[in-house]
Amino acid sequence: MNIKTPRYLKKGDTIGLICPAGFMPAEYTTVCIETLQKWGFNVKVGKTVGQQSHYFSGEDAERLQDLQDMLDDHSVSAILCARGGYGCSRIVDNINWNAFRKNPKWLIGFSDVTVFNNHLYQKLKTASIHGPMAGAFDKAGGEDAYILTLKQALSGRKMRYKTEPHDMNKFGKTSGPLVGGNLSILAHLIGSHSFPDTKNTLLFLEDVGEYLYNIDRMLLQLDRAGKLQHLSGLIIGGFSDCKDTAVGFGKNINEIIQYRVHKYNFPVAFGFPVSHEKENVALKTGLVHRLQVTKSGAVLTEGE
Amino acid sequence: MDRRNFLQKMGPIGALVLTVPAIAGNTEPVRVSGHPPPYLREGDYIGITCPAGAIDQRDARYSEVMMERWGFKTRFGRTIGRRWQQFGGTDEERAADFQQMLDDPNLKAILFGRGGYGSMRIMDKLNWDAFKKNPKWLIGYSDITAFHCHVSRCFGIPTIHSRMAGGFGSQEDLSETSLKNTLYGKPIQYQWETTTFNRPGKTQGILVGGNLSLIYAMQASVSELDTDGKILFIEDVSEYKYTVDRMLMNLKRSGKLDNLKALLVGGFTSIKKEDIAYFTMSIEEIIYEKVMEFDYPVCFNFPGGHQQPNLALKLGMAYDLEVKVGMAQLTEVRNAFPNPPLPLIDSIVMPQSPSLNL
Repeated sequence: MNIKTPRYLKKGDTIGLICPAGFMPAEYTTVCIETLQKWGFNVKVGKTVGQQSHYFSGEDAERLQDLQDMLDDHSVSAILCARGGYGCSRIVDNINWNAFRKNPKWLIGFSDVTVFNNHLYQKLKTASIHGPMAGAFDKAGGEDAYILTLKQALSGRKMRYKTEPHDMNKFGKTSGPLVGGNLSILAHLIGSHSFPDTKNTLLFLEDVGEYLYNIDRMLLQLDRAGKLQHLSGLIIGGFSDCKDTAVGFGKNINEIIQYRVHKYNFPVAFGFPVSHEKENVALKTGLVHRLQVTKSGAVLTEGE
Repeated sequence: MDRRNFLQKMGPIGALVLTVPAIAGNTEPVRVSGHPPPYLREGDYIGITCPAGAIDQRDARYSEVMMERWGFKTRFGRTIGRRWQQFGGTDEERAADFQQMLDDPNLKAILFGRGGYGSMRIMDKLNWDAFKKNPKWLIGYSDITAFHCHVSRCFGIPTIHSRMAGGFGSQEDLSETSLKNTLYGKPIQYQWETTTFNRPGKTQGILVGGNLSLIYAMQASVSELDTDGKILFIEDVSEYKYTVDRMLMNLKRSGKLDNLKALLVGGFTSIKKEDIAYFTMSIEEIIYEKVMEFDYPVCFNFPGGHQQPNLALKLGMAYDLEVKVGMAQLTEVRNAFPNPPLPLIDSIVMPQSPSLNL
């Protein structure tokens, strides 16, 4: 598949900030805006930032319009989603992509924004960035090593990430387009036209606050739908704040994942810094990466 | 040969192909059958097994006693009282226990111990050949919806959505009476009060569905529920509102709500609250929003699900559904299916799991 890479940013370019899903108080975006400005970018703040309509940052129509305006605005070179939560899939089918097709731009986010990452890959054949959002900037009080990867990604640097050795890693060398994101959202997209064709891809997964049995169920759902069998590699990020039922599931998260994919031969890398925690690097989804898993850890490198 | 003649010759072959699901991928759903397994008579045997969560022997005793009071005999599977993690035994043990009951011609029905989680972990280990030849009633709900979906999709054989062995008490209540009546073949007719949220109307169709989370978990697999031209029943428990919304968006975006005959909504109980920015729409509003653009009847408050009562429903069979503003009635269509059963069941090829199909 030929994937379009949006134009990388240079100083003076403008990043649009929107809330396409859950509500986020405007003050939580201040640090993010200041940091982006410090990096040399201008920030255009969308109407949905700080706006609230119950759970959401505005009605579906309002969130859609804010995103649409940023997509259609030639002066905006990238769109950073301030927060996930829930709501992207409620508007994704109503987006008009005409202007974006002519003038692709980076769309940035994770968690619920996984809807856009995957829709862009599958339907628009366009790369996007799975990476930190406004809340991460706020928690870091500016930038840290993880947040800086977003600056590097936006500036066009080839990404390269290395992880510590992990007992459960399955060794091997492979490559493929990077797809994936939040497991709950991938399960949610299944059966719809936004779900990525995962054959020969490097799939990365992360999630937060889910029950262990539900993670097992979602992985089983992906497997029964044939979405795991032809992967070229699997990258496991953080599954933070896992919950368990009163009668425990009896296996930890890594064991659950290993059990589900041990029948396949592709390399598996655990402990990758993609998560709802501080450890969340920018990943250019859709672009081909190489994955090498050895006894000294895993290395993910952008490029053929 | 002119085109007309050619098509006439092709006719029967075309029809046959339609009833045989292809292997894996997008299998054609079974749109035939609907003939119920034989109803039970006094002295018939019912097997009790745990394909998902574990129950103690003691918890299963109530159902044993009550089944005997109803005139049935019960057989406990080896998974009753077993435990591996939260399951009623390992995947292999649960699959073997259920398999043995599917294959045992002396059992006229299989009552599941409880839901929880685990049915889909054993689904692709099961062999349905004997069941297809000699269908029997499968009884359960919640996680068991995995089997309801699979059997509906692949074989079109009716199953029973009902309370399970672990939920039986010492005194027979409405839920249990409704199961007894159903097993003895009494046609279903329920009338209940509903919210004013209903979209009134009258329709007739085959009832399918069950637990929303499990219908969702079957999506894009060989067990994916076919909802076209059906009355879809949904219920759920202990989910966040946004999760309910998200699951319904999945059904909507994959076209599962487009061609319903009606939407029948059971209990959505023990709904959890968000920590922040509480999802203020009610469950009724969340559900109604997804089907607003269509014009089929929508009915809330069906007394089924994780609640009291949980009235038995035969899934895979045809009903008349009449929905008014504050009231609704569900009536089984009698003689909807001619005797003897349509001879199509044997011709259906069991789809392989995509994960096993290399």
